Amino acid sequence: MGVIVKKVELGWLDRTYVWPVAKGMAITFGHFIRQLLTPTARRFTIQYPDMKREVAPGYRGLHELKRFEGGAIKCVACFMCAEACPARCITIEAEEFGDLNAHQGFEEKRPKVFRIDMLRCIYCGMCEEACPKDAIWLRNDYEVADYDRLSLNFGKWDLMNTYASADGKAVITQDPTPAVPRRTIAV
Amino acid sequence: MDSFARLLHLSPPLAWMALKLLIVIGGVMGIAAVLTWVERRGAAMMQDRIGPNRAGVKGITLLGLVQLAADGIKFFLKEDVVPPHGNRLLFTLAPALAFVPAMLGFAVIPFGQSFSSGGQAYHLSLLDPGNGMGMLYPLAIGSMAVYGILVASWSSNNKWAILGGMRSGANMVSYELGMSLAVISIFMAAGNSPVGSPVTLEAYDPHRIVEAQEGLWFAVRQPLGFLVFFTCMFAETNRLPFDFAEGESEIVAGFHTEYSSMKFALLQLSEYIHIVTASALLVTLYLGGWRIPFVPNPGVLLSVAAFLAKLLFLCWVFVWVRWTIPRFRYDQLMFLGWKVMLPLSMANLLLQAWLMHGRGIA
Ligand code: SF4
Ligand code: SF4
Repeated sequence: MGVIVKKVELGWLDRTYVWPVAKGMAITFGHFIRQLLTPTARRFTIQYPDMKREVAPGYRGLHELKRFEGGAIKCVACFMCAEACPARCITIEAEEFGDLNAHQGFEEKRPKVFRIDMLRCIYCGMCEEACPKDAIWLRNDYEVADYDRLSLNFGKWDLMNTYASADGKAVITQDPTPAVPRRTIAV
Repeated sequence: MDSFARLLHLSPPLAWMALKLLIVIGGVMGIAAVLTWVERRGAAMMQDRIGPNRAGVKGITLLGLVQLAADGIKFFLKEDVVPPHGNRLLFTLAPALAFVPAMLGFAVIPFGQSFSSGGQAYHLSLLDPGNGMGMLYPLAIGSMAVYGILVASWSSNNKWAILGGMRSGANMVSYELGMSLAVISIFMAAGNSPVGSPVTLEAYDPHRIVEAQEGLWFAVRQPLGFLVFFTCMFAETNRLPFDFAEGESEIVAGFHTEYSSMKFALLQLSEYIHIVTASALLVTLYLGGWRIPFVPNPGVLLSVAAFLAKLLFLCWVFVWVRWTIPRFRYDQLMFLGWKVMLPLSMANLLLQAWLMHGRGIA
């Protein structure tokens, strides 16, 4: 491998060392003054707890499980997201619920348990891509931290309510329709 | 002012001395402490950062000045590690050895215009003029500071430390020469006080040197000498670009690798005190001491303010240079010291001598 060595010919002024130092000092002083005169809000540093970074559209942050207006979960427990997830951090248990409604017809599936282990999730957005119902998506909350591991194992209701206050929606903790007991199918 | 004068006449000379001591020690320590803050905030600003501004009591951060108190408390509470195979006595002594000479240099610096009150002359320097040591004293004491560093490095029994100490010693030896020659041309230019002035001062007395800068500062009259002395002061204080005694990227932290807790804080503080003393020397020798341009007799308060302003500005320049210029390599430093600074300073000496000869002085 050849290395290109650039020989820089310095003029006599640059070789005095004093002049380049003066130039350098002018540069640092310029930065100093500029930083001093820039108001805090416009500086490069985002002073985190007081100021927050504005994330770009399409940012992949904390997930939300979407719901219909009535409060019913959109997810149909198809397991596509769990299958697509490269970190294998989604756990779903399905259940059936009986209700005749315009959206899903009669006797539909929904998750009884929907857990995402936030410590394993890599926020790749594959679950969002895979979902046929657009029931899960990643939004822009990046402050996912807690004091113990268990609290970061987000369950179904955590995921449905992650953005409830940001969107001004009601926090729900119950499905609007009860689940039907699992039927044993006689063969 | 009147009541102050009455107080001066009533009190014994010892009280006046004590007051001066209080002012000087308090002032130097205060400036050194604030300088650590200036260095960190200044560095941050120059690098488009913000710097320490979060430490505070109930949200009062005073622009980050509370950080100083936080650091002090932290240093006190830290474990004080003494390397087991080092020399315990010297290891403990070294920070003091570095600290004291840095402080002592200030003793002869006139930090304001002398004034007379009630037929008695009062001089604003710890030692009155005509003490026979003059400017030679801070120079001699200043070279003592390297002992602190050498002892610190030797007693640590650490390879990084001894490398740092060796570098520092070599640094000091190489730059002391050029510096001294530059100062000699100052002494030449200052000359003895003319016969018939109230006190006859030797050429090397700082008061005489300030007196001699009445018309033009020595920085203007001897720009070459100023440049040499200025550069050597950076070497003397072990600051960037000559801070290779600590050179983090090469030898961990150099001479204070093994230091922790308050000992480390003292070493660090002595560096800043050294900066203050070096700035004071520069101000006295080259920037006219307490003089204000075009004001022949500024008076006590104004002269002290002028001295302080110049001092603080130079301290700021020390910080400014630190965040501009990268560290020299060892051989580059030696090259600069022996082949550039020494000849330059000799040339300056000869030039000044020739000029004086041309003007018919001596
Ligand atoms: S973002 Fe990626 S890692 Fe996280 S749950 Fe979705 S698919 Fe899994
Ligand atoms: S979130 Fe979407 S992909 Fe995952 S189980 Fe529910 S419907 Fe299927």
